Amino acid sequence: MTRRHRLKSMQARLLALLLGLVIVIWTGSAIMTWVDARDELDDLLDGHLAQAAALLVVQQARSDDDDGVADAPVLHKYAPLVAFQVFHEDRLVMRSANASTTPMTSKDHGFTTVRLNDGEKWRVFVTHGQERDVMVYVGEQTASRNAILWAILNSMLLPLLLALPLLAAGGWWAVRRGLAPLRQLSKLLQQRQPHGLEPIELHDMPLEMKPVADSLNGLFERIDHMVASERRFTADAAHELRTPIAGIRAQAQVAMGAGDDAEQRNHALQATLAGCDRASRLVEQLLTLARLEAAQATATAPAPTMDLSAVVRRIAADLATTALANHQTLELDALAPCMVVGNDMLVGVLVRNLIDNAIRYSPTGARIWVSVTSEAGQPLLRVEDSGPGLLDADMARLGERFFRVLGNEQPGSGLGWSIVKRIADVFGARLNVSRSEQLGGLAVAVHWQE
Amino acid sequence: MRILLAEDDPILGDGLRAGLRQLGFQVDWVRDGVAAERELVSGDYNAAVLDLGLPLKDGLDVLQALRARKIATPVLVLTARDAVPDRIRGLDLGADDYVIKPVDLHELGARLRSLVRRAHGQMQDILQCGDVLLEPSARRVSLKGEVVTLSTREFDLLHVLMLNADRVMSREQLEQQLYSWGYEVDSNAIEVHIHHLRRKLHPDVIQTVRGVGYTMLRSQTLS
Repeated sequence: MTRRHRLKSMQARLLALLLGLVIVIWTGSAIMTWVDARDELDDLLDGHLAQAAALLVVQQARSDDDDGVADAPVLHKYAPLVAFQVFHEDRLVMRSANASTTPMTSKDHGFTTVRLNDGEKWRVFVTHGQERDVMVYVGEQTASRNAILWAILNSMLLPLLLALPLLAAGGWWAVRRGLAPLRQLSKLLQQRQPHGLEPIELHDMPLEMKPVADSLNGLFERIDHMVASERRFTADAAHELRTPIAGIRAQAQVAMGAGDDAEQRNHALQATLAGCDRASRLVEQLLTLARLEAAQATATAPAPTMDLSAVVRRIAADLATTALANHQTLELDALAPCMVVGNDMLVGVLVRNLIDNAIRYSPTGARIWVSVTSEAGQPLLRVEDSGPGLLDADMARLGERFFRVLGNEQPGSGLGWSIVKRIADVFGARLNVSRSEQLGGLAVAVHWQE
Repeated sequence: MRILLAEDDPILGDGLRAGLRQLGFQVDWVRDGVAAERELVSGDYNAAVLDLGLPLKDGLDVLQALRARKIATPVLVLTARDAVPDRIRGLDLGADDYVIKPVDLHELGARLRSLVRRAHGQMQDILQCGDVLLEPSARRVSLKGEVVTLSTREFDLLHVLMLNADRVMSREQLEQQLYSWGYEVDSNAIEVHIHHLRRKLHPDVIQTVRGVGYTMLRSQTLS
């Protein structure tokens, strides 16, 4: 995670989600209750209004003869919120104390909601008396209805307000508990030494954590292998250099101690030089391998294509003089251009190693045959010789670092094959070692993928 | 002193052989573990220089096989493996010395002499039989304090006899100790060298045990 992104706590996120969800659900249910209660309340209170109007109609019929306006007493704290008027032939005959002298509405039948002179909204029910000229108005302030609704809503929302902190605390605790394995993992990783690559083991690992732990363990294992192979390589390389250096030292001391024996001194000096050549060749090969490893590690872009035949012709021309000096015949069959995926330099190193090996390990007068062909559309490089070839067991071990076939006098480090194998890997080519059918010695085939 | 050198590296092997020869050792050189074991089992060597990374059979396996067969030839392990566990394992398996490549030739010679000396139960480098003193490191022999010049073969023969003082050595034993393979050994070479030694040192310096061989006595007095 980069600095630019705000670090978000998983715990805070989970908690926010949880509480947000609770609030949304609670609010939703409160709204539904509100709507529901309002409708029911309207029905109920409208019923009451109608009922009150009916009573007034009956009442008016009985006291029809009374003159003057009768004012009803206020009997309940809700009474000021309720009002009624009875008109007979447009003359006010009865009203509640809080009712005005003019009709509440011009409507002559049914329910209506109006704003009266006192500025309040009223729900009004209008009906005729038993005679057509009697009008009964019963009204109720809508504020009273809203007060009831608010009371209902409060009874719902208040517990939520109280519960939210409790929920938050509980949620925080639950989330924290749920995320404990993650914290345990991060603690384990933090405590790790740079070289600690043993697999992670968590107690009671949750199912969801297993893929994470497994991938981490897989990564650790791969790193471990890489580190081990690097360490082994460095150690092997150092050891491999010790022997040539010991040889150079011994030969130099022999030359110093040779005294009058010129022949012995010359021999020792020659051997000293040969030892130096071998040590520098070894160093060169080690560097090539190291560079290859770096190339392999960073190889992301597809390698360009190149003409294998041209490279083979160039290397063969280089090495022809060595073969001639050994009275060996180097034959080349690489006329047609053959495009392969690769890099001139690296493929050159591969070809050089193969031909060089054939020359080096074949006796005087041997034949070495190099060909570039296309087998089922796949480029194929073959290097065969009439040398002694290899035992099956030795073929299997080829490519192991520093493995050298026993009993050859040639100064070799055993790194050549590692290099060939590594280059082939870099370009996805396949190596195949067998006995040459036509020459009887070793046959090496490099198959490129199309 | 006859040394078996087991080393698969051609340049190092060649250098060690030549260098140890310059220091007066008889050196036989083998290049793999199987040959090393065969030679050490059958041959009569004063000591062996053993590389560990040998083809066919690892040096440590050779060492283990030797010790299992009760062959006590002193073995100096000369190797590139420098890790402490490797050294401990080498010494525990019966190596008498453990030297990491590269090594100074003179140091290697001194270590070999020391091994041979200890194998013969001697504390000091100088061997003495009566009036005859032999210093292997300086390759010097003196009689009653006077230095006597000897040829390489004569010196080695005297060295072997003095290392095995008070024991009778057969002609075959002496030959085996002195000559590497490949040398043409005259049938009477030992007699000739004994003759020369008696002439240069003293007629009675080496006793002949008829039909058995030769011996030198630690407490001999020469008139």
